[in-house]
Amino acid sequence: MIINVDSPVLEIHDLTVSYDQSPVLWNVDLSLPAGKLIGILGPNGAGKSTLIKAIMGLIPITGGYVKLFDRELNDVRSRISYVPQRESVDWNFPASVLDVVMMGTYGKLGLFRRPGKKEKKIAMDCLEKVGMQAFVDRQISELSGGQQQRVFIARALAQEADLYLMDEPFAGVDMATETAIFQLLQEMTAAGKTVIVVHHDIHSAMNYFDWIIMLNLHLVASGPKAQVVTEELLRKTYGGKLNLLTKVTDIIRQKDFNPLKS
Amino acid sequence: MSDFLYFFTFQDSSIAFVVIGITLLGIGSAYVGTYSFLDKKALLGDAISHAVLPGICLGFMLAGEKNPIYIVTGAFLSGALATFLTSWLKSNTRLSDDAIIASILSIFFGFGVVLLTVIQKSGNPEMAGLNQFIFGNAIAILEEDLYIYGGLAILIIITLTAFRKEFSMLVFNADFGKSIGYPMGAIRLVFNVLMILAVVIGIQAIGVVLMAALLIAPGAAARFWTDKLGKLLLIAGAFSAVSGILGTYVSFVIPQMPTGPWVVVFLSLFAFASFLFAPKKGVLSRFIARRYYLKKTHQDHLLKLIYHGLESGKNSFAIEEIYESFPYRKRQTKHTIDELLKTNLLTLNQGLIDFTSKGKSEAKRIVRLHRLWELYLNEYMNIAPDHVHDSAEKLEHILTPELEALLENRLNYPKLDPHQEAIPRDNDEL
Repeated sequence: MIINVDSPVLEIHDLTVSYDQSPVLWNVDLSLPAGKLIGILGPNGAGKSTLIKAIMGLIPITGGYVKLFDRELNDVRSRISYVPQRESVDWNFPASVLDVVMMGTYGKLGLFRRPGKKEKKIAMDCLEKVGMQAFVDRQISELSGGQQQRVFIARALAQEADLYLMDEPFAGVDMATETAIFQLLQEMTAAGKTVIVVHHDIHSAMNYFDWIIMLNLHLVASGPKAQVVTEELLRKTYGGKLNLLTKVTDIIRQKDFNPLKS
Repeated sequence: MSDFLYFFTFQDSSIAFVVIGITLLGIGSAYVGTYSFLDKKALLGDAISHAVLPGICLGFMLAGEKNPIYIVTGAFLSGALATFLTSWLKSNTRLSDDAIIASILSIFFGFGVVLLTVIQKSGNPEMAGLNQFIFGNAIAILEEDLYIYGGLAILIIITLTAFRKEFSMLVFNADFGKSIGYPMGAIRLVFNVLMILAVVIGIQAIGVVLMAALLIAPGAAARFWTDKLGKLLLIAGAFSAVSGILGTYVSFVIPQMPTGPWVVVFLSLFAFASFLFAPKKGVLSRFIARRYYLKKTHQDHLLKLIYHGLESGKNSFAIEEIYESFPYRKRQTKHTIDELLKTNLLTLNQGLIDFTSKGKSEAKRIVRLHRLWELYLNEYMNIAPDHVHDSAEKLEHILTPELEALLENRLNYPKLDPHQEAIPRDNDEL
C-alpha cells in the first residue's frame, strides 16, 4: 500500500540504486507530506540508509530521480539537513563539542569564511535544546554514545532547515536520550518541519511516527501509520526473505557490468 | 663549540637561509602530515615520497643539470601520477588499500633507482648532486633553490590555514560536507596536491626515502600531548622544525653526513619522549596512575579488614595481626599503615591500631559500595550470591558517588546484602 500526497516535500520517482554491481533498491516510488514525523522501517540490509544517502546525493543513482520541495537537490540544500550514522565518523578526531555543532552553520557560511560570534550563538542555542550546554568545551572523544548522538542532532538543528533526514538517531542511545530526542523531533514537526528517521526497532516505531515507510529492497508500504501498519505488510517487510530478488542480485553481481545502468 | 656558535649565530648568511628553509619545510610538512595522520592515510605519504624519485631523474635528464624548476616539476608530476593511480586502482580493481600502496611505492621507487643508475653511467659531471635526493642534504641547498622550496612551503601553510574548516570537515565527516553542498571532491584534490608539494619541497633537504617520517612522525608525537586541533598543529610544527634544524646542524658539522637520517633521529627522540612522558597518554603517567590505583586498593582492603573485625566484635588490632592478614606483603602493608596514619584515617596507640572517626566513615563507604554492588548483581542480573563477591571486590574502588546514589535509589536503600550482612550507612552504630 503506497499512499501519495499532493504538493509533497519529498518526491521519489522510480528510484533504483546499486552499490558497485549489486542493486540495493529497486524502483522506489513515493511522495511524503510536510510537517510529519516519518519513520523508515525495514530489516538489516533492506536499503534504509541507502535510500537517505541517495536522496542526499551521496551515492550515485542508477535510475529515477528525487525532488525536494519540487526542486532539484542543489537548489534547496540550505533547507535540508542530513544526520549521518553516529558510527560513520571517527570520534577520536581532535575537536570539541562546539566545533562539531558549529559545522551545522557552515552551509550558510560558505567556503573560506570562518565562523564568528553569530555562528557560536546559534550553536550554543542548539546545544541547549538537546540538553548538552554543559558539555560545550568537552572533547568529542570523551562523550558517551547518547551524548554523541545529541551532538549530531544539535548540529542538524544549527542548520535551521525545513526537512531533516536522520540515519539511525536512536541507535545505541540510552532510554533518557531516546525520549529526549523523540520529544524534540515532535516539537520540530509541530513547528511545521518534516523529519524523516531511519529506525530499526519496530515496537517503538509504532509510538513515535505519524507516517511509516516500509522497505525491503523494494518499497513495501508508505502511508499514515493507521493505514499501513497491518500484519500482512509487516510480514512482507520483515518476514521471509525475498529469495527470488536476492538470486537476481547475485546473478548481476557475477556479471562484469550492471545491466540496470544505462 | 666554535662550530656550534658559527652555526647558531647565523654569521654565515647561507646558513641562515638553510635554517629558514628547513623551518618552513618542517612546519609545512608537519601541518599536511598531521591532517593525513588524522585521516588514517599515513601510508599514502610514504608511497608519494618514494614515487617522486623517477620524476626527479627525468627532470634532471631533460634539463641536463640540477635545475630546481625541472626537478620540482618532475617530482610533482610523478607524485601526482602515483596518487592518481592509487585512487584509480582502488575504484577499478578489487585490490586492498595496503596492496595498492605497497605496489605503487616499490614500482615507482624501483623505476627511479633504474633511472638514477642510467644517469650515473652517462658520466654527466653535474650528476654528483643527484644522490643527495635519496637521503637529503640540507647544506647543499643553494639560495635560488630556497626561494622555490621556501615559497612552496609558505603556500602550503597559508592554504591549510585558510581552509582549516574545510579540511577538518574532509577528515572528520566528508559526507556531511557533501550534504551541505561543499565540493568535497575538489577539497580532497587540493589536499592531495598540498601533500605532494610537501613531499616535493622536502626531497632536497630530507630525501625521498625518509620524507614520510617528516610528514607523519610530528603529528603522531604531538597527538600524545593534546586533544585540540590548533595545539596539535602547533606542537607538530615545533617538533618538526626543531628536528630539522638539529639535523641540519649535524650534517653541517660532520662532512659527508646526510641530513635526512639525522632529522629522523631527532624526530624519533621527540616521538619516543612523547610516548614515554606525555601527561595522561604517556606510558610513564599511565604507569604512575596504575601504581596509585593499586596503592589505593590496598588501603581500601586494609580499612575493610579492620571494619570486618569491628563487625565481629573485635575492637582493636595489633599491627602484627594486620601483617598476618596480608601474607608476603609485609613491607607494602607497613607502608600502607603509615600512609593511613599520616592521612588521619587510623590511630596507633601502644601497638594497637584503631579507626579515627574519619577512617571509620571511609571504611563504611567502601563496605557499603561492596555490598550494594553485590546486591545489585544478585537482584538485577540474577547472579547467584556466591558469585558476586569477586566483582564487588574490584568495583568497590571505582564506583563514584553518583553511581552510589543511583544504586541506593534503584535498590530502595536496602538494609542487607545477599549474604545477609548489614549495609552500613554513616549514622549507623555498630
